[in-house]
Amino acid sequence: MTGYILKRIVSAIPVLLGISIIVFLIMAMIPGDPATAILGSYATPENVAKLNSDLGLDKPLVQRYFIWLGNMLQGDFGRSFSLNREVLEEVQDRFGATLVLAGTAFVLCSLLGVAAGVVSASRQYGLADKLITFVVLLGISIPSFFIGMMMILIFAVNLRWFPVSGMWPIYGARDFSALISHLTLPALALTVVATGVIARLSRSAMLEVLRQDFIRTARAKGVSEHGVIWRHALRAAMVSIIPILGIQAGFVLSGAVYIEIVFQWPGIGRMLVDAILKRDILLVQGGVVFVAACYVLFNIAVDVAQSLLDPRIKA
Amino acid sequence: MMGFILLLARNRLALGGLIVMSLVVGLALLSPLLPLADPDVTDTANRFKLPFSDGTLLGTDHLGRDLAGRLMSGTRLSLAVGFAAAIAAATIGSAIGIVAGFYGGRTDNIIMRGVDMLMAFPYILLALAIVAALGPGLLNALIAVAAVNIPFFARNIRGITVGIAHKEFVDAARLSGMTNTRIILSEVLPNVVPVIVIAMSTTVGWMILETAGLSFLGLGSQPPQADLGSMLGEARSALITNPHTSLVPGAMILIIVMAINLLGDGVRDALDPRLKSGALSRPMPTTMVNRAGPIPPASDDALLAVRDLQTQFHIRDRIYKAVDGVDLQVRPGECLGIIGESGSGKSVTALSIMGLVASPPGVITGGAVHYKGQDLIGAPYETLRKLRGDRVAYIFQDPLATLHPLYTVGDQLIEAMQAHHRVSKSDARTKAIELLKSVRIPNAEIRIDIYPHEMSGGMRQRVGIAMALANDPEVIIADEPTTALDVTVQAQILSLLDELRRDRGLAIIFITHDFGVVAQLCDRVAVMYAGRIVEEGSTEAILNAPAHPYTARLMDCVPELGQGQRKLAAIPGLPPMVDDLPTGCAFADRCDRSSAACRASDISLKKITSHHRVRCILPVPFLQEVAQ
Repeated sequence: MTGYILKRIVSAIPVLLGISIIVFLIMAMIPGDPATAILGSYATPENVAKLNSDLGLDKPLVQRYFIWLGNMLQGDFGRSFSLNREVLEEVQDRFGATLVLAGTAFVLCSLLGVAAGVVSASRQYGLADKLITFVVLLGISIPSFFIGMMMILIFAVNLRWFPVSGMWPIYGARDFSALISHLTLPALALTVVATGVIARLSRSAMLEVLRQDFIRTARAKGVSEHGVIWRHALRAAMVSIIPILGIQAGFVLSGAVYIEIVFQWPGIGRMLVDAILKRDILLVQGGVVFVAACYVLFNIAVDVAQSLLDPRIKA
Repeated sequence: MMGFILLLARNRLALGGLIVMSLVVGLALLSPLLPLADPDVTDTANRFKLPFSDGTLLGTDHLGRDLAGRLMSGTRLSLAVGFAAAIAAATIGSAIGIVAGFYGGRTDNIIMRGVDMLMAFPYILLALAIVAALGPGLLNALIAVAAVNIPFFARNIRGITVGIAHKEFVDAARLSGMTNTRIILSEVLPNVVPVIVIAMSTTVGWMILETAGLSFLGLGSQPPQADLGSMLGEARSALITNPHTSLVPGAMILIIVMAINLLGDGVRDALDPRLKSGALSRPMPTTMVNRAGPIPPASDDALLAVRDLQTQFHIRDRIYKAVDGVDLQVRPGECLGIIGESGSGKSVTALSIMGLVASPPGVITGGAVHYKGQDLIGAPYETLRKLRGDRVAYIFQDPLATLHPLYTVGDQLIEAMQAHHRVSKSDARTKAIELLKSVRIPNAEIRIDIYPHEMSGGMRQRVGIAMALANDPEVIIADEPTTALDVTVQAQILSLLDELRRDRGLAIIFITHDFGVVAQLCDRVAVMYAGRIVEEGSTEAILNAPAHPYTARLMDCVPELGQGQRKLAAIPGLPPMVDDLPTGCAFADRCDRSSAACRASDISLKKITSHHRVRCILPVPFLQEVAQ
């Protein structure tokens, strides 16, 4: 098992390098001169040239990439000019908040989505199936930011059950219950779409498995229908559901950007959008690479979970 | 193509999606001709008018602009950008996929590595990075959305192309000297287009959402130009005071994307061959029962008796009569063989007994199965469940597919016991080891903890037998349990079953297509053809003097050791399709003894000796056979 985990981690290295190259190349496409962007259009040519050489922007592309990569590996992601703060510090602070939001939503959508898919498949064409299918269709067709806005309108403004926005109360204790009450609406809004997708794919994974011969064997043994669905079919279907969960984690992370904007959640998505609008390239670059790397590591965890579940995957 | 449209039209939800979509597109295209106010004219004196007030249809926004007009122009923009992104992503992605799949080798490797890299991103990061580089703007948002969807198309289309690139018609085109470009355009492309269409129809909605999202963040369309996403983004600051300005564009996005998704599902279903055959429907816990005729009474003292059983498969408009009036019975300690070609209905008969025929499409339409006098057809699910595996157990063919791949052999044996009896896990485990030993699995204590894929075929088959024996059943129904095995293993398993029958008084129904197995194990044998029993009697009588021409021909197909120069006579023709059976004898078309009378009317199963019945008006004469 340890061998398998090590192997997966080693195989992630080229992926991480590839990601850094892609991000670097995209950022290198930027038209115009970053030094001018930083100093403003009234800067003197001498100052621009000096900043360019200070930033190392006068060096060739390949050399710049390796300098950037080397610095990143030493934990130096550069300094954000709009915030006047180390990029890595800002990214870590913000990513923590995103992790709380996206992590909660991911756990919720995995549980709800798989459960809905299983119930839907085991009552195929029944009332529960039709109801779930309709709700799922609604869920995957509605923009998450629109759901978020409607939730604010109904549950925060009209019913006053939850606060309108933010992660913590402005005044008062920053305790767990305060977090939960701030977290509920954004987490639910973020859960809807992914739940729909997971429910859909879990349903078809279950239908695929329910036709297999070993399900007939379980029935021929006299296993109860409950056991057939939840022990036999779901266990086998999880083999194809788990990679779906891994992919959906990326979608939850993506959706978090919108939800963070709608709910003023101090996460990394909001930071990235602000950074783009302020043309703070180092902050964008650092944030993207950091989140992408975390996502790759998360997918290694998914693969390991998969190998624990399926003895046919040889370590 | 016509069939595709019909299928699509039959799907009411998809049709609804199509209608809504046409309405939205039509409205958006025609809106410049409609008497709507200019969407960009501001009138700050009339801000935040409510819908249907003061001559406005949907009210006005924070700058007093007419919402109805803005909604239409925004819809036009959103649809245009969404579809443009989808077409761009599909074209570029498919081109990459086709090139990678067609050329294979190193080209494929390099391209797919790159695609994998792009897919390692959460999509929004890539989109944000691209917008960050190109700067905010609707065109740049379009490029970003198209770019993040390229890998999806590339990967899907590559998979299909790899399959096509090795087909014979592509080889033929190569041999005829066509250039690669021409082969791709004339041979490969037409075959991948349906897949591209499916992939597009299921992603267009998503791409409209994504572009709306980027605009919502302020990274897409820039004022005064507004698509639905930026309308929603601008309305957000007035969400609490004037929610209608948010509701209007939000609801429109929902309507559009939902219609597209319904339509996309319809397109996918219409193009997916698996859905047509009903292969994606889930088998119910018991076979559906819909008996029209009278239910035969329990007659004699048999342990298990099948009476006039009729099982059909209802697939779309066709009815396949897989089993059409079969009678069988077994007593304790007796072994009954059922023999016949593939598709003769022998497995369906066996599965019908405990309601294990997959349904849909299977339906039991008549007859009865009496177990100790109780009718099992149409019995409540719980009654059947309690008998399954406890009193009547099955052994299936191909144990790699019939054992659960993710549970150990021991867990599956223990579960078989615990499904019926309250036994502790450790007691059940002890019994499971005993069972494995009784089917002569060496090192049972170790093997109990391994998975089915770690065993050989013969071992797995023994596990299947051990599982059937777990609760000391009275009847075992074995469906070709030795077909996949080599001869020595087969002989061991047969003698094992024979021993169990003698020791435990087990009744066995043994399904096979092998006369050798019948001779070794069975007391009586029933020969099935096209869903009916054509001959039935003691093994001795039938093996010595087959009376039905089909049985006789079937036995002629068996090579015998030491019989020298005899020609092996295959039976000409194929068994008839059971959805369109001829009147009279179903074998008549393949029979060299048939006459007009054979096809005139139904032929009944007639007794020829006390132990021998046959469904034939011109049975093979006993004496003639002996004379040969």
